[in-house]
Amino acid sequence: MGRSIYERLSPILSYLYLILVCTAILLPLSITLYRAIVVSKPDGSITISLQSYTMISEAFWDKVLVNISISLLTVLIDVAVAVPVAYALVKYEFKAKRLIFTYLNGVWYVPGISYGLALVLSYYFVYKFLLGFWGFVVAYSTGFMLLALLTAIVAFRNLDPVYEEAARCLGAGRLKTFFKVTLPLVGPGITAGVVLILVLSLNEFITALLLSGPTRVKTAPLQVFSDIRHAGIQPFVAAEATVLQLVSLAIVILYLKFFGTKYLRGAIMI
Amino acid sequence: MLPVGRRWAALPLITPAIALQSLFFFLPLFMILLVSFTSRDSFFFSPLYTFDNYVKMFRIYRIDFQNTFFLAGMAGLIDIIIGYPFAYILLRKVTRFADVFRAILIIPLFGELYIAYGLLYLILPGGPVSRLLDALGISPLDVLYSAPMAIFGMSLYTLPFVVYNIGISLQGIDRSYEEAARCLGASRLKTFLRVTLPLSLPGIITGWLTSFGWNLGTFAIPVLLGGPILGTRVLANQIWTTSLVTSDFGMGAAIGVMVVAITMVVFYIVVKLSRGVLV
Repeated sequence: MGRSIYERLSPILSYLYLILVCTAILLPLSITLYRAIVVSKPDGSITISLQSYTMISEAFWDKVLVNISISLLTVLIDVAVAVPVAYALVKYEFKAKRLIFTYLNGVWYVPGISYGLALVLSYYFVYKFLLGFWGFVVAYSTGFMLLALLTAIVAFRNLDPVYEEAARCLGAGRLKTFFKVTLPLVGPGITAGVVLILVLSLNEFITALLLSGPTRVKTAPLQVFSDIRHAGIQPFVAAEATVLQLVSLAIVILYLKFFGTKYLRGAIMI
Repeated sequence: MLPVGRRWAALPLITPAIALQSLFFFLPLFMILLVSFTSRDSFFFSPLYTFDNYVKMFRIYRIDFQNTFFLAGMAGLIDIIIGYPFAYILLRKVTRFADVFRAILIIPLFGELYIAYGLLYLILPGGPVSRLLDALGISPLDVLYSAPMAIFGMSLYTLPFVVYNIGISLQGIDRSYEEAARCLGASRLKTFLRVTLPLSLPGIITGWLTSFGWNLGTFAIPVLLGGPILGTRVLANQIWTTSLVTSDFGMGAAIGVMVVAITMVVFYIVVKLSRGVLV
């Protein structure tokens, strides 16, 4: 029996639709990359060259390194702070769990622009400390903690308690069980939070714009923004704009290669 | 679960996180609220407490509220129209390469700045689209620096959140309802319209609200793509310029507090509607 038109067309149309939407999503990055590496000669021919990347100033590369250090420190702080909370929320019984969870996640629902202004008003103008580098680290770790917390909670939830019980029965202490059994088992789940925090903090722009306002300390995305405003659409600006996007893309691809999408599902993926 | 005597054992585990959030989120939030009730930059010298900022805000910045709500609302709408089929197809129709499509959805998280910049190139005079528009007899400048372009950028930015929200609610639908409708003779279209769509309505609402909430704070997309009139008159840009450029901290803080209040309400509804987010 022949299949109906619907059954024959449906898969083709489905894939066409997904590809169409994904093309739109990839559009900004691909155009920026195109402007950065494709040079059109006056005679109409087109060549690919990395010349625009050599025109990026030394100062920008420094800011990229600063950005990467900020992100790594952010990840470190977030994991160190959020994993114990997730453990407590899943394994212990205490009052006001829901309230504590909401309290810890409030920042995620406040737009970066207001959060940045709040931080600058209090920590720059009133208390006059925590400026520049550490200001960014603190702001990012506070702002992105939710991601580490959520993924850690999911990881602890999915953990079968028999492993820990076995370790405890065999005489391991509470602490030893946590570090030798629990942590290695939930580690892969926590990586989803790590990669999200890494990618988001590498590219954070609006909070950084407010934070850097009076201090003149700039992260790489801020440099890109000010170059867009002052130098406009020159190839080296496009090259700058691609640097951290490509780093982030590499992180995501590497992560997916090792862990696949399973830990990201439920966090930001369906 | 642990015996009652040990319930305080959790305290040292949650203290660092509570401290971090209290010091660097709730304290600044309280501070911005205080500043919003002071006149101009008086807070830092001898605070002059007043309600003026809130009274004046809706008169002076009415257009900014309108623009922001319009752009964010439209972007959310576009996201629903594009994102619903995307989530539906991703979950129900495809298996091969599904993870590739999932992975591509991460890219908008790289930030609004890059989306704005990439689209800026696209529609620039001399760029690919402007040539096409020229050929069609439309002036490129009417399209670049306009509301549709900013809305397109914003909808790209928040598409992952909308797909996520709709996907979650589609996953929660018991397939036996759809099968029952089909068995009772409803066509595919009718089953979708009368069963699947109503059951996934919470996802559509939370998706729209999430997109709206995120886009209230977008800055780079309207400023770079919205052009000199529309783009500068959005809330995010006013917060930045009134506070840090023209030093009217009181007003800047008041707009900032307003945006926080609106997003809080929006996300409160989202959390209430979505099927219990963990814990």
